[in-house]
Amino acid sequence: MPTPRRSLADDIRGRSDSELIDLVLARPDLARPAPADLTSLAARASTRASVQRAVEALDRGHLQVLEALVVDGGDPGDLGDPGDPGDPPRAESPSSSADAVSRDGERLFTLLGAPTKGERAVVMALVDDLWRVGLLWRGDHRDHHVVRTVPEVLGPTVAGLGAPIDELRPSLTPRHRDAEALRATIDAAPAPSRAMLEKMTWGPALGVLPPERAGTTTARWLLENHLLVPVAADRVALPREVGLALRSGRLHRETTLLAPDVTTRPVSLVDAVAGGSASELLTHLDELAAVWGAEPPRAVRTGGLSVRDLKGTATALDLDVDRAAFVIEIAYAARLVADDGEVVPVWAPTSEVDDWSTTEAGHRWAPLALGWARSTRAPHLVGRKVGSGSSAANALGPDVQWPAIRGIRREVLHELAALEPGQAPDPDALRERLLWRRPLRPASVLSDALDAVLREAEWLGVTGRGALSAPGRALSAALPGPTSPRARAVTSGGSPDGAAQAVAAAMSAHLPAPVDHVLVQADLTAVAPGPLEGSLASFMRLAADVESRGGATVYRFTPASVRRALDAGWTAAEFVDTVRRSSRTPLPQPFEYLVSDVARKHGQTRIGGASAYVRSDDESVLETMLAARELAPLQLRRLAPTVLVSGADPRVLVELLRDHGFAPIQEGQDGTVVHAEAPRRRAGARRRAAPPAVSPVDADFTTTLVAGLRAAEASADERRAVEETRAGPRIPTTDPIVTLSLLRDAVAERHGVWIGVSDQGGGVARHLIHPHRVDGGRVWAIDEGGHEKSYSVHRITGATLETP
Amino acid sequence: MTDGPLIVQSDKTLLLEVDHPDAEAARRAIAPFAELERAPEHIHTYRITPLGLWNARAAGHDAEGVVDALITYSRYAVPNALLVDVADTMARYGRLTLEKEGFADSVDGTGGTQLVLRTTDRPVLEEVLRHKKIKPLTGERIDDLAVVVHPSERGSLKQELLKVGWPAEDLAGYVDGEAHPIELNLADWHLRPYQQQAVDGFWHGGSGVVVLPCGAGKTLVGAGAMAAAKATTLILVTNTVSARQWRDELLRRTSLTDDEIGEYSGARKEIRPVTIATYQVLTTRRKGVYTHLGLLDAKDWGLIVYDEVHLLPAPIFRMTADLQARRRLGLTATLVREDGHEADVFSLIGPKRFDAPWKDIEAQGYIAPADCVEVRVSLPGGQRMTYATAEPEDRYRLASCSDAKLPVVQQLVERHRGEPTLVIGQYLDQLHELAELLEADVITGETPVKERQRLYDAFRTGEVSTLVVSKVANFSIDLPEASVAIQVSGTFGSRQEEAQRLGRVLRPKGDGRTAHFYTIVSRDTVDADFAAHRQRFLAEQGYSYRIVDADDL
Repeated sequence: MPTPRRSLADDIRGRSDSELIDLVLARPDLARPAPADLTSLAARASTRASVQRAVEALDRGHLQVLEALVVDGGDPGDLGDPGDPGDPPRAESPSSSADAVSRDGERLFTLLGAPTKGERAVVMALVDDLWRVGLLWRGDHRDHHVVRTVPEVLGPTVAGLGAPIDELRPSLTPRHRDAEALRATIDAAPAPSRAMLEKMTWGPALGVLPPERAGTTTARWLLENHLLVPVAADRVALPREVGLALRSGRLHRETTLLAPDVTTRPVSLVDAVAGGSASELLTHLDELAAVWGAEPPRAVRTGGLSVRDLKGTATALDLDVDRAAFVIEIAYAARLVADDGEVVPVWAPTSEVDDWSTTEAGHRWAPLALGWARSTRAPHLVGRKVGSGSSAANALGPDVQWPAIRGIRREVLHELAALEPGQAPDPDALRERLLWRRPLRPASVLSDALDAVLREAEWLGVTGRGALSAPGRALSAALPGPTSPRARAVTSGGSPDGAAQAVAAAMSAHLPAPVDHVLVQADLTAVAPGPLEGSLASFMRLAADVESRGGATVYRFTPASVRRALDAGWTAAEFVDTVRRSSRTPLPQPFEYLVSDVARKHGQTRIGGASAYVRSDDESVLETMLAARELAPLQLRRLAPTVLVSGADPRVLVELLRDHGFAPIQEGQDGTVVHAEAPRRRAGARRRAAPPAVSPVDADFTTTLVAGLRAAEASADERRAVEETRAGPRIPTTDPIVTLSLLRDAVAERHGVWIGVSDQGGGVARHLIHPHRVDGGRVWAIDEGGHEKSYSVHRITGATLETP
Repeated sequence: MTDGPLIVQSDKTLLLEVDHPDAEAARRAIAPFAELERAPEHIHTYRITPLGLWNARAAGHDAEGVVDALITYSRYAVPNALLVDVADTMARYGRLTLEKEGFADSVDGTGGTQLVLRTTDRPVLEEVLRHKKIKPLTGERIDDLAVVVHPSERGSLKQELLKVGWPAEDLAGYVDGEAHPIELNLADWHLRPYQQQAVDGFWHGGSGVVVLPCGAGKTLVGAGAMAAAKATTLILVTNTVSARQWRDELLRRTSLTDDEIGEYSGARKEIRPVTIATYQVLTTRRKGVYTHLGLLDAKDWGLIVYDEVHLLPAPIFRMTADLQARRRLGLTATLVREDGHEADVFSLIGPKRFDAPWKDIEAQGYIAPADCVEVRVSLPGGQRMTYATAEPEDRYRLASCSDAKLPVVQQLVERHRGEPTLVIGQYLDQLHELAELLEADVITGETPVKERQRLYDAFRTGEVSTLVVSKVANFSIDLPEASVAIQVSGTFGSRQEEAQRLGRVLRPKGDGRTAHFYTIVSRDTVDADFAAHRQRFLAEQGYSYRIVDADDL
């Protein structure tokens, strides 16, 4: 590698503010924690971890260019003349940087197979992008150099190409002096050897020798001619030079610098369909809250929802299990349900549900959509075996946690947002596009996650008939953008609240208008021809069973449902009245008959709760108790001649009766006599974790950061300048313990010490002192002026012995 | 978002708002592919089923039209998944066709025709041929896209293909059968418009089912079809009484003479150009063998008519599988079968060719309007106790045979004195008790056919105004002047029975009187629960009903 004239640090110091802002926005990890100055920013930008992140964020176009640059300039084996494809490597002196620009370019174009002017412009734009994100640095002559860590990150085989021959076997004398020789050797290869080479051409560049004799012979020819290099007893490698020659000078089998097109088909009624789905989801959530509010399912030991409860919920909501799992997970992501944290934990609706019914539908939807986009949970994993787990993942369980899904959701949203409104993508084309965007992500990650995301988006109303809806677009705008060199991360300027508002407003416009009436029919069904409004919706849910859902809801009044309403405190008259008021049509006679019929039987048997009873065979004693004024607080009530009941605790009852001259004893449940103890109960204190505060690396933040870096850089320069002019060595910052021992040594050896002392203004003053006593946290010394002075040790920032 | 009359639900039901100005247009648009499930007063419910969609395909509708109808009339956006599903389902019909093809025999050079299962889509054929039950039904492969089918397996193959979701379109045509001149005798009557439509629909479709409510003149549709076929005809009916009525009707309405119509029943075994056979005789088995199967081959039938196709016993389906080369007409009031054999009706008889909602026909004045009333009686104290402690299997009988019903029946009969009244029940003891009380005749399964005929005739002429009948009267008796039916007990909650019984009073009355349909049930018992089930059916058919207490009568 030619000796770099400058470094990445120099490059970064030379960038303009806006270029720096772009850099930090594209690689937010550089900003956390804020670096002290531009030099440390540059240092951080070349750490392996940060480069790894940056490389992983590259799309295939950028990655291919970067690989070409690495292959091109990354090692001593330089490539031949431009415009001569198939030119093999030559041991040549490193080219001077003066002609690096043009030669850089030409070799690069060959590697990328970009002969035309247009394609070259594309390559140059991509190179420019890579420079912007700090994976390349520029020399004085606009010659580009790959940051040192990049080849490490890309690994030993770049684009399936092996290591250069002198890296594999440094001792080997190259047999092929030039390209022609190499090509001639390859052409001269016998057919089996040729086939073996071709097998390895596009990687992997490592091969295991076949055990048969024939294979060994074939390989021997190649080894003898240095087309393969042995790396272990039965392993051979294809050297980079040979690989490139076989690839006719091109680096990739297919160079895809530009994103593949996503084929689309136009669809109509997108927003209306999305509104319909959203409305349906809201209904499902209402029902989920109602079902779980009444009978919350147990949380299983590992924290999820049991398969049986999931199935039960699915049946109650009249959904298939996949969709039910989605509804449940959405409710969880939007914090509508939670583990109640009791001794026997159950999944119950949270208090948010109580405000739910009075919230406008769009505002109910927004947190669902945002929760979905932000959640790291993947509902489609429910019911599947995940990872090493032996059993299927439970809904709400830990196995459904899969952070990659969030990235996929966002990418899908952004890809959809990039399409024209009303255009639905072809899923396969979309998959191709996503694979292009993140070539380093294992393809298996997308396998069914993409389908799941598209399906969920449809259920949610983010898409309608496959195309992104207007609310979906608003949602996409509210999310942080993808970090890629070209599409820069631009977060919405507004607060998170603002984002939710925008999303809600976008959805409100497309939700079906709520209705405030039902149509009651003689077959005892009531049809709500649209989404019902708050109180009527909850009444209908209580008073009738849902038979069919969708744009409208069909309710059926049954004896059981009427009884349920009566149990909840409705009277028959109120019940009929409410239905009559809500019905657009006259009530059929059988309906009224049904209600009165159920009401007639309702409440014939009475059940009550009492915490204590008093029984005595002597009825007169009970009479006395009932009559006693002092016992009134006990609220004794007679159930039968020999039985009284009270709402008071049995122990209180016993005590109070004893105080008033009776002689009761307490019975246990089995009728035996028990002796009560005073109760001692404590409620456990509850702690709540503070919600995590998120401060995104956005434009404002970055601008401030870069300004700070610039200032720090300036002051660092200044400091460097000052330090160079003044006397004495640099004083390192030392620990007080080190300082103390150093001072003691100096006292003992009568040595001079340079110390830094922080003054009252916060600055650090430098003194050369000769200490003679260290005591009680202070040091007494003679300073430069020959005056006796004392310093507090805790004020001393550092010390170093005077160099003679 | 339009303001259409239709709401498409996620469970594939369609809600049609009847009072909407576009409701009629929407109904016409969806009727070809959606089954009317419920038709109460304000909102009718249709259901989209695969069978319905295939029926539509068979009638020449395509998926685009169906999707278009849904989108045009829907008030809210139609879920995309449903549209996709509709298109997919419809695309399955017609991928496989059964055709008759000529071939040249390679051995002796003579030609002939053979039945071939052909496809336009090779994977489909491969898929179905790999089915265990379908493979044995087919012969040798002709090429990649076709396979030979033995003519005798035509029915079974269609049945199995439907089961695996790839219904075959039967284009193999029909044999003409032995020609026989049959004309409608149109001197003093003519086919009503909807009957003519039904006949045309059937004839153009080749084979299939015509759905018409009781009393809407299904026999005449049968006669019309026979006149169109002009060929020897086999008519399968539920019982002997019904057979006689068919015979009478045919004599009156067509050019057929007494000598041309034969009866093939337990009593008589005549085979004539038009033969009327009962289900029962066909399904009679002796030593495990159906002894009367020969009838099906006795003549070269040109048309086979199945009366009350929803009651067709399973063995007849099996026999019908062999009759696929003949035109088949199914007549029924409802496609709903309590045994769930709708798919067999589709594959073996044919798709639905005509359907009209009851209410529409009633509105046109062809069937009588009905007033349905449920009368609730309270069990007397002693019976309540007996009921409460009875075994569950005895409860229904106890409740429905309560003495408390007797005076109510008497009161109702009294109220409608002079009008032809049927008292219908399930339990013979109860029926005899009632007959004694009302001084009326009883018809049960034990009543000889002659006696039955005599009583029916007397009832028809008005000589007798009240009859007590058991469930033998459920099917196919034609009592034109019955205008009051009182139901005292029934077969648990059978919807089909309810339809039949209601049918008793729906035949048009000479003077346009309202028909009355009373059901008497014991309050707070299983009787009331079953009654609720049956009434739901009535309400769903669009009949409003009232509930009154016996004391308020």
